[in-house]
Amino acid sequence: MELTIDNLSKTYSNGINALQDVSLTIEKGMFGLLGPNGAGKSTLMRTLATLQEADHGAVTLGNIDVLNEKNEVRKILGYLPQQFGVYPKISAEVLLNHLAVLKGITNKGERKEIVHVLLHKTNLYHARKQNLKGYSGGMKQRFGIAQALLNNPKLLIVDEPTAGLDPSERNRFYNLLSEIGENTIVILSTHIVEDVKELCEHMAIINQGQVVLKGKPLELIDQIEGKIYQKTIHKNELDVYKREYRVIHEKLFLGKPVIQVMSDIELDNGFTSVKAGLEDVYFTQINNLN
Amino acid sequence: MWYEILKFELKYRIKRPETYIFFMFLFLFSIVGVDFVFQGVEIGLVKKNAPIVIAKTMGAITGIFMIMVSMIMGVPVLRDFQYDMESLLFVNPIKKRDYILGRFLGSFIILTGIFSGVVLGMILGAQMPWHDPINMLDFNIMTYLQSFMVVVFPLLFFGACLFFVSGMLSRKLLVVYTQGIFLFVVFLLTKAIKNEYLQAILDPFSLTTLTQFTKDWSVVERNSLGITMTDVLLHNKLFWFAFGVVILFFGYKRFSFSLLRKKVKNKNRLGAESTEVSEEKIIVPKVNIHSNFKTHWNQFIGLSKFYTYSLFKETSFWAIVICGMIIILINSVNLGTVYGVNSYPTTYLIVEELQEMSLYFFMIILLFYSGELIWKERTSKIQLLCDSTSVLNVTVLCSKFFALVCIYVVLMLSLIASGIAFQIAKGYYQFELDVYFFGFFLEILPFLVLYTFITFFFQVLSNNKFVGIFLAIIFFMINIGAEALGFQHNLYKFAGNPLQRYSEMNGYGHFLSSFLWVKTYWLTFGILLLLMSSIWMLRGTEANLFQRWKIGRTQVSKLQINIMFGLVTVFMGIGAFIFYNTNMVNEYWSNTTEMAFRAQYEKKLKPFEYILQPKITEVNLNVELYPKERAYEAKGFYILKNMHNTPIKEVHIQKSIASHLQLDSINFEGGAHKNSDYQEFDYTIYQLSKPLRAGDSIKMSFKQSYVPKGFENHGENTEVLENGTFMNNQVFPTIGYNKKYELRDTDSRNTYGLKPRIDKADQEDEKELGNVISGGDSDGINYEIVIGTESNQLAISSGALLKEWKVNDRSYFHYKMNQPMLNFYAIVSGEYRVERDVWQSSSTLSAPVDLEIYHHPGHSYNLDRMMAAMKSSLEYYSDNFSPYQYQQLRIMEFPRYEEYAQSFPNAIPFSEAMGFVLDIDDEKDVDMVFFITAHEVAHQWFGMQVGAANVKGRHLVLETLSQYAALMVLKNKYSEEKVDQFLEFQKETYAREQKKSKTEEPALIKVENQDYVYYNKGALAMYALQQHIGEDKINLALRRFIDDWNMYNGTIKKQTQRYATSKDLLSYFRQVTPKELQYVVTDLFEKAESTKIP
Repeated sequence: MELTIDNLSKTYSNGINALQDVSLTIEKGMFGLLGPNGAGKSTLMRTLATLQEADHGAVTLGNIDVLNEKNEVRKILGYLPQQFGVYPKISAEVLLNHLAVLKGITNKGERKEIVHVLLHKTNLYHARKQNLKGYSGGMKQRFGIAQALLNNPKLLIVDEPTAGLDPSERNRFYNLLSEIGENTIVILSTHIVEDVKELCEHMAIINQGQVVLKGKPLELIDQIEGKIYQKTIHKNELDVYKREYRVIHEKLFLGKPVIQVMSDIELDNGFTSVKAGLEDVYFTQINNLN
Repeated sequence: MWYEILKFELKYRIKRPETYIFFMFLFLFSIVGVDFVFQGVEIGLVKKNAPIVIAKTMGAITGIFMIMVSMIMGVPVLRDFQYDMESLLFVNPIKKRDYILGRFLGSFIILTGIFSGVVLGMILGAQMPWHDPINMLDFNIMTYLQSFMVVVFPLLFFGACLFFVSGMLSRKLLVVYTQGIFLFVVFLLTKAIKNEYLQAILDPFSLTTLTQFTKDWSVVERNSLGITMTDVLLHNKLFWFAFGVVILFFGYKRFSFSLLRKKVKNKNRLGAESTEVSEEKIIVPKVNIHSNFKTHWNQFIGLSKFYTYSLFKETSFWAIVICGMIIILINSVNLGTVYGVNSYPTTYLIVEELQEMSLYFFMIILLFYSGELIWKERTSKIQLLCDSTSVLNVTVLCSKFFALVCIYVVLMLSLIASGIAFQIAKGYYQFELDVYFFGFFLEILPFLVLYTFITFFFQVLSNNKFVGIFLAIIFFMINIGAEALGFQHNLYKFAGNPLQRYSEMNGYGHFLSSFLWVKTYWLTFGILLLLMSSIWMLRGTEANLFQRWKIGRTQVSKLQINIMFGLVTVFMGIGAFIFYNTNMVNEYWSNTTEMAFRAQYEKKLKPFEYILQPKITEVNLNVELYPKERAYEAKGFYILKNMHNTPIKEVHIQKSIASHLQLDSINFEGGAHKNSDYQEFDYTIYQLSKPLRAGDSIKMSFKQSYVPKGFENHGENTEVLENGTFMNNQVFPTIGYNKKYELRDTDSRNTYGLKPRIDKADQEDEKELGNVISGGDSDGINYEIVIGTESNQLAISSGALLKEWKVNDRSYFHYKMNQPMLNFYAIVSGEYRVERDVWQSSSTLSAPVDLEIYHHPGHSYNLDRMMAAMKSSLEYYSDNFSPYQYQQLRIMEFPRYEEYAQSFPNAIPFSEAMGFVLDIDDEKDVDMVFFITAHEVAHQWFGMQVGAANVKGRHLVLETLSQYAALMVLKNKYSEEKVDQFLEFQKETYAREQKKSKTEEPALIKVENQDYVYYNKGALAMYALQQHIGEDKINLALRRFIDDWNMYNGTIKKQTQRYATSKDLLSYFRQVTPKELQYVVTDLFEKAESTKIP
């Protein structure tokens, strides 16, 4: 089963082109969707999760027409939105049970079993009777993944799942995801480049509603290997460098600006060649458009 | 700083659509505000824009729309929590004082602005063309501004404090709304307070206060004086203002920003506990997900439970339940009250009380809980999780619907429990669970269910909780308003008509089946609407109405489409069936059709009013009653006699105008030719083949049948019933023009170009002086009747029971009156138990009189009192006035569709509601059963012996004298305190009704149809006269009066050939009054404002 997105477009009533002719083919495994805030990631995710309409284009999942056969998709869909709330005064177990009912798991025994298994799997079993309002960010995200897995989804969409999680919680979360990715299409949207590098076999970068690059992370890095240079400069030199070189990224190191430059020819005068990373791939694409 | 917050609040509110919607709503509503609030309230000669009317209307509108105050004032602090703004806001260096002050004042300013819509709306409303200028004062803007400042503003302030603080401390909208209920309960509670001053102070809406404030004002003062902040009104407003300040201060003290931080702390605590990581690999089991009907059904059940429990978790719901349960304890203070005396806590009375009281609670639940339920996911921001599951819209919507229905049921069961508890507390142990059950689950639940369809529909459609609530309220009002405008058909009046009241004698009778048909019709429509709503239901993020429809349409299941088509078919099928019944089998008359008919009747037939006609001198009937079918057949004849000096060529016959009533045949001795020119009015002129010469008689035989078919839209016959039939001679053919069909209401008459109706003719009117009853077609009859009815029923009429027999499983009763009587008789039939006794005069040698009370088997509480009253009355009246003319006196109970007792010759039909279930405590109550019985028995003299001419003052002779007679009997039997208590009650009623009267108050001698004059003032006047000149003197006068004016053998009656008037009566009083006290008679009877009545 694979997910095919074909020329998907969406323009909001306020004139923002959230998606412009997006085409992607996504297979089983982890797929990373990278892009800055406001790039259209969430719009794409919501559209795939049947919560939003597209203006035109088509999406198919196996032989399901995602845009029209919404309920067929929902049966095999797991969705963890970027933000979600919970009913007041309700425990994880009860809410999970409720969502299982919504997902059509109407056999009581089955439902109880899967709820318990998922609570164990997401390491929430000890806190299952607790009010969800009292959960930490990480626990809540794990609850989110637990609910997404209730119906053995074939397509799992997770939108910015690690925002606001501390590193150890993030790790734990990714372990969970990668395990699921073994036999499910998992689409992970994020603006954290490291996440994609660590987890995803395939990826796409999306910016201003368009897919600007797609491929396998390692191959993409290979393509720019040896073309990345770095130099520490003075603050007031920045503009000069920006004019003369293709500066893809700048950051501060010990208070001084460090620029990252891409170049097909070898650079010296203070530039040192550095190993290319996915971050460089990302920034080349993002800053290309600017 | 607080000023910044205030500005922020104002800016925010000004951008919100609610602000404008609320304003527009109040504005539009207030245009008809006075008409709405004072609908059905008689304000007499007070103008419709008098200060007091405006102030009360404003108070009532503000009271009704306290909900709006709660919606505006409850949210300012709540909002910050809802949108998770609190942490952003409260880390800023804002002082608590600034924050609260800014938010409160900002919202309060907006609130005042919104409610200024009431002023503007009412000003505009007063200019509307539907007001008759006669009922209006000149426009004065100050009246409106003053009322707003004095009545509305303080009320808004109190509401604002209450809702602001409850919203701030509870942080839950439902808690805020529940405060509104508390306020309403307080309002009801104050009604039970005996101390007037306290009652006026504690009324939160100051309606009682206004009544008391203007208690002693005359009509002129009411029309001119403004409502000022003085006296009791000032105290009331001060009290509630101070209370508001206290609440605000309390809230201020209790509120702290750290309340919020607790929440943040919680998170950290839990987060720290869960550090261990489980490395083991857990296999997620496969689950089976189906999508068949069984899945949907199981989902429906599961979700219904979930939503029901979630509503049970609302503290506000339990607060409503508790309020509902205690309200009966407060309000049953006045239960089934008749003339100041309460009834036994019979189940149907308790049910009616509960129904009335709980309506407000159900409305709150209906409006707000439906909003809460529909928006539950979005309020908790969990919608994205739920929306992306495979559950069908229709499953979710239906389960929410069902959850709300469960909530109604729980509230109903608790109301029933409280009703039973109340009965136990009163020592009444006949619980009648079926009556409870039907009262709620048959009368109230369908209504709620149907309106829930509507609120759900508007919630889904509007996609905004508040807008949804208001659309629903507007819908309710349009639905009610349309009825007032004459749109009455059950087929388009949403939810149809309510069920006719329950009667212990007749149950729900035949009214039930049509009620059920109409409810089923609307229920089908409601389900259709719900299924429709499910298509529109928001799922995901596309909020646009058309988008939602487009998406929904593609997602709806085939089964649902099929069901919807099926429902449309059922809906139309039942609709057709109802239409067949109401418009084809029966005739559908809207109010307008009926009014036009009445106007037409008068215009066409009035010329016949006084043409010479023969009089009925004998009535002989055979009536076969079929209670089960509610049908009857009557055969018989009248003997008509020409009492005039000229021959009569034509006889005008009016068939009683009613559907399914057939005058099958009518035959005149010697033949007659039928002239059907006025057939549309069931009015036929018979040209006699041989003119009826002066003094001659003719026999008129007729056959009439009444066989109802199907059911009618409204106004079903309440005379012929399965149990408790009670009809009078008006159902049989009458002679000549019938004044009773004329339009009465002056405004409606005006519409049809008719002059105001003259209720009673002048005392000099020769024609009416000869009429003993309006349209009198007789001067007394010989009466004989045979009534057949079902074997388990007893049939009763006037006269002596000659024979009683059974044939073909039917019972027959033959009655015959052995002397002339008024052409006024009743036919009654029911499953009765009979209480019998005999009265024999202790002073004269008259024949014994058989006393009988025909009553419903359970209604034996007050039979002794009735019996005692009959005996005491017969004794007193025959001793002091004249002998009793008959050998029987009967009381027959009839169902409570009508509430009165009425005297016919030797028979008194007495409503179920008029005393059979009164719980008389001789310590504190006046024995009203005794009094009413005595009054009706007195009519055997004043009405049956003396006939009063149908002119002004007629009711002084009939009703006032009966009041006097009964009062004397009461005085003989009970202590002076009881009599004083009775008189006090008359005084109160007189004063109250006087203010409501639309017409100038007449003196007793000229009284027309003003019952407060002839009953209440009459009793007071007669009692005062009796104190001045003595009981003996009055009785002497009455003895002479009866002697001279007896209908059949009175000397003066025979001479004058006319009936007695009030003038005649007064001359007898004057005869026995010493010279120096003559002025008392003048004062009491000839003046409208009598000084002798305190």
